[in-house]
Amino acid sequence: QRHVVTGVVSSAEDGTPIPFASVVVKGTTIGTSTDFDGKYSIEVTEDAILAYSMIGFETKEVLVESKIVINVILLTQTTGLDEVVVVGYGTQKKRDVTGAVSIVDSKTIEALKPVKVEQALQGTTAGVTVTSASGAPGSGLDIRIRGISTNGDASPVAIIDGYQGDLGTLNPDDIETITVLKDAQAAIYGTVGANGIILITTKTGRKNTAATVSFNSSIGIQETSRKLPVLNATEYGVLLNEAYAANGEALPFLNVANLGKGTNWQNELFERAPVLNNNISVNGGSDKIVYSLSASDLDQKGIVGKDKTGYKRNTARVNLGADLSDNFKMKSSVIYTYIKRKSINENGLGSVLFNALNMPSTMPVYDSNGNYFLAPTSLGIEIINPLAQIADTYNDYNLKKLNGNFSLDYEYSKHLKATARIGFNTSNSESKTFSKIVDYGGKVFDKTRSSVNQNAENFNDYTFDAFVTYDNTFNEKHHLSATLGTTVFKEWGNHLDATGYDVPNNSWDFADIGLANGVSDSKSVGSWTFDQRRLSYFSRIQYDYEGKYLLSAMIRRDASTKFGPDESVAYFPSATAGWVISDEDFMSGIEEIDFIKLRASYGLLGSDKIDSYKYISQLDGEATYVFDGVLAPGTAIGANPNPTVKWEESEQFDVGVDIKLLNNKIDVNADYFIKTTNDLLIGNIPVSGILGVAAPGAAGPTVNAGTVRNKGFEFAVGYRGNITKDLSFKVNYNFTTLNNEVLEVNNGSGFIEGGNFGVGQPAPSRMEVGKAIGYFYGYKTDGIFQNQAEVDAHPSQTALGAEASPGDIRYVDINGDGKLTSDDRTNLGDPIPDVTMGLNISLNYKGFDFVAYSYASIGNEMVRNYERSNSNVNRLSTSLNRWTGAGTSNSVPRLTTAATANNIFSDYFVEDASFLRIQNVQLGYTFPKSITEKLRISKLRFYGSVANLYTFTDYTGFDPAASTGAPIGGGIDYGFYPAARTFTFGLNLNF
Amino acid sequence: DDFVELSPEYSIDSENYFNSSDDYYNALIASYDMLQSTYVNVILGEIASNNTLCGGESATDVVGWQQVDDMIHTPVNSNLRDVWNWMFAGVQRCNYFMEFKDNIDFDGREIMIGEVRFLRAYYHFELVKWFGAIPLKIDERYKLGDETSIPRSPVSDVYAQIEADLLLAIKVLPATASQTGRVTKGAAQALLGKAYLFQDKFSESAAVFEELIKDENYSLVSDYNTIFEAEGENGVESVFEVQYTDVEGAGFGCLQCSEGNVAVGFSGVRGYVGDLYTSGFSFNLPTQDAVDEFEPGDNRKDVAILDIEAWAAETGAEYTTGFEHTGYFNRKYIPRKRSADAQGDLNLTNPNNYRAIRYADVLLMAAEANNRGGVSDTKAQEYLSQVRRRAFGDTNHDVTLTGAALTDAIYHERRVELIGEGHHFFDLVRTGRAASEIDGFVAGKNEVFPIPLEEIQFANGNWEQNPNY
Repeated sequence: QRHVVTGVVSSAEDGTPIPFASVVVKGTTIGTSTDFDGKYSIEVTEDAILAYSMIGFETKEVLVESKIVINVILLTQTTGLDEVVVVGYGTQKKRDVTGAVSIVDSKTIEALKPVKVEQALQGTTAGVTVTSASGAPGSGLDIRIRGISTNGDASPVAIIDGYQGDLGTLNPDDIETITVLKDAQAAIYGTVGANGIILITTKTGRKNTAATVSFNSSIGIQETSRKLPVLNATEYGVLLNEAYAANGEALPFLNVANLGKGTNWQNELFERAPVLNNNISVNGGSDKIVYSLSASDLDQKGIVGKDKTGYKRNTARVNLGADLSDNFKMKSSVIYTYIKRKSINENGLGSVLFNALNMPSTMPVYDSNGNYFLAPTSLGIEIINPLAQIADTYNDYNLKKLNGNFSLDYEYSKHLKATARIGFNTSNSESKTFSKIVDYGGKVFDKTRSSVNQNAENFNDYTFDAFVTYDNTFNEKHHLSATLGTTVFKEWGNHLDATGYDVPNNSWDFADIGLANGVSDSKSVGSWTFDQRRLSYFSRIQYDYEGKYLLSAMIRRDASTKFGPDESVAYFPSATAGWVISDEDFMSGIEEIDFIKLRASYGLLGSDKIDSYKYISQLDGEATYVFDGVLAPGTAIGANPNPTVKWEESEQFDVGVDIKLLNNKIDVNADYFIKTTNDLLIGNIPVSGILGVAAPGAAGPTVNAGTVRNKGFEFAVGYRGNITKDLSFKVNYNFTTLNNEVLEVNNGSGFIEGGNFGVGQPAPSRMEVGKAIGYFYGYKTDGIFQNQAEVDAHPSQTALGAEASPGDIRYVDINGDGKLTSDDRTNLGDPIPDVTMGLNISLNYKGFDFVAYSYASIGNEMVRNYERSNSNVNRLSTSLNRWTGAGTSNSVPRLTTAATANNIFSDYFVEDASFLRIQNVQLGYTFPKSITEKLRISKLRFYGSVANLYTFTDYTGFDPAASTGAPIGGGIDYGFYPAARTFTFGLNLNF
Repeated sequence: DDFVELSPEYSIDSENYFNSSDDYYNALIASYDMLQSTYVNVILGEIASNNTLCGGESATDVVGWQQVDDMIHTPVNSNLRDVWNWMFAGVQRCNYFMEFKDNIDFDGREIMIGEVRFLRAYYHFELVKWFGAIPLKIDERYKLGDETSIPRSPVSDVYAQIEADLLLAIKVLPATASQTGRVTKGAAQALLGKAYLFQDKFSESAAVFEELIKDENYSLVSDYNTIFEAEGENGVESVFEVQYTDVEGAGFGCLQCSEGNVAVGFSGVRGYVGDLYTSGFSFNLPTQDAVDEFEPGDNRKDVAILDIEAWAAETGAEYTTGFEHTGYFNRKYIPRKRSADAQGDLNLTNPNNYRAIRYADVLLMAAEANNRGGVSDTKAQEYLSQVRRRAFGDTNHDVTLTGAALTDAIYHERRVELIGEGHHFFDLVRTGRAASEIDGFVAGKNEVFPIPLEEIQFANGNWEQNPNY
């Protein structure tokens, strides 16, 4: 008996109809799909079972019987087990994945609203840390997966839709998912996988969906998240007098009573600045074609230096997929990016924020003539009026980039598929820096001659992949998938720079080499060019028995031009295994447990991230001398070669478990990993000076010179549920522990130094056997000498700079030899957090949605290096608690202009920079269908959010989360440009 | 795999070089280039002596220099390591040239080889002065691993190599160089005489100085003051001079890369605003003791020493003071007013040439060799008196002393004539007076500086540390 069934398919989440859902009679090819309003109509027999399915929803089956109206509510997919995960040269269902993988989807990106993609990974993915050297618009971010494993380039490689790309220039709104491969599974990317792989899938359209236009727009106001407490003018005057008096010098301020509060340089410097973001996209598809188009515009100004800093990004993207025939499919996406950036002097001695902290509050911004007040040389030659510094800063950078891919899939048969694809990046950038004639009164920034420096760079690369995949199931139990392929990667580029002198009118408006006709006596042009290639063959076999026992093995052979002919080739094998325990019969009775999978992986991965041509000796050193009174250019050897430099190898072990409980409401992932990087590639490694490595333009060789081990535990748990019918929530929490230890530095000395502290002091940071990479190496303190008797009872500190007096810092004689010398330096902590955590909450109530993201980092140290060790500069307010006599302070030393050893690098300057940051809070409201339908729009949502709402920390600097990203010397703070707090209001509109 | 076999574009491989005279000339320049980094030998040599205090901004400003000043330096000292690294970089560049010296033949090749031999001797001489025994590798570059296999050659072997290089250089070098700044025969003779003197080989020393003086290619400039000004550069008194310029910028990241004289900016008056000079970092501050060494009527005193208080009172100049302020500055090598073309960082690009070997120095060394070697006190008196006649502008201060009294007079004269030029510490050491003159100097230890700790570690047991460090 056949009859017609009609109905509406709608979503359980918000009750809206689901268009284009598929309605199929089970076991047949008979079917239809729903229309725009989710309605369908189909003729069936009474014994038929109708299967309703839609991507992103759980499939539901209904027995027809005699029903003539069947309205179906589809649940949004909650288990995620059938979600497809990109694992490199293929995809896997999430339930089958046997490696350690973290995924961030577009919903998370939408909730976090990051300006740059990298920010979406912090706090959302266990084992991934993201740091920035600056909160300035457009600054780069550093991603580290499972710790810092090398003194060289430790950043992971980003693969966008199959080709090697750059996260930094992408528009976050274009991203569908970010998949982070954290363990040996990344070995399929052999050569580049040692530091982890980040796979980006850009948005595509869906088949048989009408065009959806979505428009997202937001406006944000940024402000500084922090200002440091410094002395006001009166406090400064009093304390400076005290310092002078302590050394028997005449008082600089005879009358402190009239000083008042003076200038607050930070208030003068920090301002509110806007960030505007507009994004429009069109997605859709027919039977054979899917498409996704988008364009975006981001305009961000800086909270310091307003017009002199800023970041502008425009992107346009076309993504197209087509079924050319039944077994021939093509996909292509192309992204055009334009970036423009301006910046100010940051994070160094004499940088803008450094100056703002060190300029005395007694000094005005402007002198009596209305010109910028000139900081006197008594403050040292680097400290200048930071507002004048900004006004005299002129630079401009722009990048035009085209990247994309083109891919063809051919299905020979049900079991055999071949893919050929090519991805490319090509970019051109130009930058210009103008330095005008300026006189700050005897400072390092003084310029007696104007100049304009311009440079142009061109980078290109392509990735070509060709691989075949065989997939079959034998006896309905043995499932086998094998992939065999090759990848070719080539990158090449060039650079040209030149400096012109005597810019007309000393003005930015005329700052172009074409107009700068001054002649220079030294070489003012430079160029370089490079061409590097990689050739790889890989093979992977994946096997499972009834989906219960999962095995995979991979091997990849790589050849890279970074190494000499004898060392260019390396093999990277790996294996993974999984056991879905919950599929075993003995688990069948346990209702609470929906899914348990144990997995393990082990493998070798490589890295060739070193500069080009390090295996040969090139004449690219610097040789200039003066003959007959003019510069004579010569030729010298550059970096020492290392003909035997070879692949860096990372040995990665991981065991993990994925669990789903209570009807998939609870989702747990846990991993333990040991990642040992052997034969670390260290560029310019310190070697004996007899090799001439200290000559201009020379450098130490690049050597496979160490071993670093990172081990840790990652844990992520998610809970989702409904409190009432209308109120649903999700909570995700993750934490990562990390233990970093350098096992070997075989350059003879056993350590490598890095970083800077103060002026003319030894390097404060080291990579050394038995310690965490980049640990701080300095003197340990033991309070303040309260009286002369204590000084006399203690070993002499003269060798540290000056004989101690009461009120000075007491240093610990670590080696107990009765003397204080440089041998008494010791481990003062390191910038690597012991534990990082993320806690993310989202709530939905009817039309309202709310999310809150937080991130915590515990056990990371930071060096306070933004106080100039000069008597006359301004000080932090902590100096109000200085030692002024026995018993007054045991932590802050006395003030004096006399010589002391109080400013040498010690734990007095090392602070615990643990923090908890409320990263983002967002509240949105989606108008009900009843209203929006009348307006002929499918979705209208308004939201307000606050990014970087608050940071709980004891760290006294601007930003405990900042880092230069350098493996050695990363956590040294010259006054990091703080991450802005941003209040955003925006709308999402779909029609 | 052809895809991954490629050769670098637009780059020159060091092993296929030296195919034209230009190639040799370019490599010769590289050998000269490291001379500019000897600025640190000069200023640190001065600080090490009793002539000056370290100074700077504070007690921790350039810690390594502060320690040398107080004679409390240890093998952990990045500034001493600079001396080691930079001088060996010079040796390495010379050896690179020498390794390929016979590749082709062309006019002027022998002179170039002579220049390189001189330069290698100059770098070796600095190294042996500072560190004593050092590894030696000749006409071949040091390679990775040499530090664990090549032993430290005894001081006598190092000097033998210096002598050998200079004797060969003297044979081929011209009396007058084809370009200002290049080495002459006279320079090689002077350095050889000096090397002999440092070994107490007085008769050899006297003989080679005698030839140099007899050739009459050099003479004393009549006005001592003009020697150290820009117009006095490469003058008749200059036997060997290290060339600097300020047309190229420089930064703290690579001080040895500067084409300027870094020591000058470091020696400048802190926060100076006023006539004639420009500011600097207030290092290398003459002591009262050194200032008092000048006899009354000595015209050299006001040239060598800037009394900043008196100067400020006279001209209205302003300045600030740093650590260990003595009121005096090393006027020979403090920053003068700069040209409009000077490139920044101005503190690091001062163009003041270093008058490495002055004819006055030659005369005093000749006097010393003649006197201490028992060759001829008459000659010694004559040479010494020539120097004093210019200093006092009369013959009333001529010396008639003999024997040990004459020796002391020569020592005194060397100190005042050459103050601020980096020689005094090594003079005190080689004449055995250092322990009694320099506070904190320990005999049997401080005659040489410690081998940098890193080098001892790199050598992995191959090199012993100098005694008592």
